[in-house]
Amino acid sequence: MVAALGPGGLRLTALDANARAMGLQPGEPLARARARIGTGIVVHPADRPADAAALERLCLWAMRYTPVVVPFRESEGGDGFFLDVSGSSHLFGGEEALVSDLAGRLSANAIPARIALADTPGAAFALARHSGPGSPRIVAPGAGAAALRGLPVIALRIDPAIAESLRKLGLRRIGALADAPRAPLARRFGEALLLRLDQALGHRPEPFVSLSEAPAFSASRGFLDPIGHQNIIVATVRHLMEELAHKLAAAGLGARCLRLILHRVDGHSSSLDLGLSEPTRCESTVARLLDLRLDRLGPALDAGFGFETLRLDVTAIGLLAPGQAALAIVPALGASGLGPLADALRQRIGRRAIRLEPRASHIPERAAAQTPWRVDAVTLHWPGGGAYAKPRRPLVLLRRGEAAEEVIALAPDGPPQRFRWRRRLHRITHAEGPERIAGEWWHETAPTRDYYLVEDESGCRLWLYREGNYSAPPVGWFVQGLFA
Amino acid sequence: MRRPRGTSLKDVQDAEALIALRDLVGSPPPLIVPACLPFGLPEIDARLPHGGLALGSLHEVAPDSDADAAAALGFTLALVARHLAQAEGEAVLVMGRGHPTPYGHGLVDLGLDPGRLLLFEVETDTEVYQAVEESLHAQGLRAVAGLVDAALPLKQSRRLHLAAGGTGLLLLILRPAQAVEANVAATRWRIAGAAASRDRFGCILKPRWRVHLDRCRNGRTGHWLLEWNHAAHRFGLAGTLADHAPEASQGRCALG
Repeated sequence: MVAALGPGGLRLTALDANARAMGLQPGEPLARARARIGTGIVVHPADRPADAAALERLCLWAMRYTPVVVPFRESEGGDGFFLDVSGSSHLFGGEEALVSDLAGRLSANAIPARIALADTPGAAFALARHSGPGSPRIVAPGAGAAALRGLPVIALRIDPAIAESLRKLGLRRIGALADAPRAPLARRFGEALLLRLDQALGHRPEPFVSLSEAPAFSASRGFLDPIGHQNIIVATVRHLMEELAHKLAAAGLGARCLRLILHRVDGHSSSLDLGLSEPTRCESTVARLLDLRLDRLGPALDAGFGFETLRLDVTAIGLLAPGQAALAIVPALGASGLGPLADALRQRIGRRAIRLEPRASHIPERAAAQTPWRVDAVTLHWPGGGAYAKPRRPLVLLRRGEAAEEVIALAPDGPPQRFRWRRRLHRITHAEGPERIAGEWWHETAPTRDYYLVEDESGCRLWLYREGNYSAPPVGWFVQGLFA
Repeated sequence: MRRPRGTSLKDVQDAEALIALRDLVGSPPPLIVPACLPFGLPEIDARLPHGGLALGSLHEVAPDSDADAAAALGFTLALVARHLAQAEGEAVLVMGRGHPTPYGHGLVDLGLDPGRLLLFEVETDTEVYQAVEESLHAQGLRAVAGLVDAALPLKQSRRLHLAAGGTGLLLLILRPAQAVEANVAATRWRIAGAAASRDRFGCILKPRWRVHLDRCRNGRTGHWLLEWNHAAHRFGLAGTLADHAPEASQGRCALG
């Protein structure tokens, strides 16, 4: 059995069959269980992150049935998942066949499971968790409300405190709750109870946030013999990309981000994301980038006993006009030679390739942004170089101002004569300023800054500012930039 | 260390024997003059082997002290800007962990268009060298600069020098101060900050650097006070105008 810290000390969270046979219940205090059974019980501490990770692995595996898989939330117990099989059950020969296939595979992997299929997620949850062992697990369309009537109210995924209050009122079953007048219920227990009731009965929708979105462009390939060799993976991806390229070309699109999902024989799956700096349909580009990535990963990508299925999804797209096929095989050069290089560097070394972009702000640290490198048709316009004199900006801008200490200024609102910064004393021989930059009032109430360009004896040019005003202390001096 | 051609044979007294030997060896193969990036200043270009900073070979830049890091970065980027200004093409800047990312508006002030610059941030020096080497094989590039956190070792420098040969790229490695190690870099520059040049109102006009050429293969070393004109992408020698008052006044007399 497994115990975790709950309200009022350690409580049991999960039990095995032997413990259930002794009459123990989840949620019982561990001390009481010890007192009843004796010291012969074996208790393991609960590991919630590991549980969540295991559930996610199981959900990824369950995507073999449908792309819409939603794991239970913490409030729902966090120990199961929903499958939206509408539209995909016929692929497995009907709903009964799908459910029995799922149950068979889970029990083959020694995962005890209770499965129910109904019109709404709420009804399916209630039937799976709270119906007796003999009741039917598949509810025919439209029969959900009738099936729910006999179940306890806690099956509606509501707060246990509310369920307890309802029990005291005599509303033990969902049927009784559905027949009760709604207005007093809403007044007493809030909207959440009625929302859950309506969702279970199908009167109100329950939107799902799936574990992963179903991609519009996807291709997959299964293998009779599992594969594990890098060359074969790359060659397969090349074929998959060729398949996708036709669909993308028909839509006038190119892939900007790709995700390769590798399903291992033992049910584990891993995914690799490939980002591209310009939309592409070229299979050799994708294959080359994947090759670089696999070179870098090496043994970090554990093939185990081999991969049985590879799936290539297009996760982000960009417009790409149809191009003319070249007769000669020449290395295609994009608008910029940097696009292929940035992609190769990203895959080979796996670090950030960035581009500097101007932003419309007069606050220095907000006036430029670092964005992931991509090739754009639009050339960015950096202010400056025009007819008007633009104030000078430093070559290196510190992310936030670093405090200058021991500042001595000749006049209270003048530039400093000397200060200490980064443990070095700077004696100022020349200062220009102030350039006053006020905070953006629509963002926050940052104090006004007076910027000075100062030069010290050794020829080091710094950009520092005074925050605040001498008429209203405190006043601070901060170094924010270094000039060339 | 410099050894002009033929000095090693100074012990050979007999000139005829020398001529006979020359005949035996045959005429030397024609020298391939590599492309280079001239500074545009005869005082400096005359000391560099091919009248400028050779393209397709490795050059090492370092600040004089830790306080001059920004000056050294400025000099490196000024060289890149000068090279980019001469033709189409882009530059790659690979930055190690200890180097701050340049500020876009500051790059504009230095005369370097940030749109033509790919910044690649990495964690270790090994990754810097990997990325620089990968960039050397790319097409459509004009300059590659790597910013490392330790000395440039012999093995890496040899690798980069070989990879750069024949590419015609400007290859610069900026290392921190006081991290000297023997390597095969063609030139080694040491940069210190200096008081900027002033306009007639006494405001800062152009940045100036005290530039030491500490090592120059097949050339001569020297040191200069350089200033950088970001609008014209041109270096200037500061001493001739500012520090030598008599020359300046002569010029004024001639005008008057």
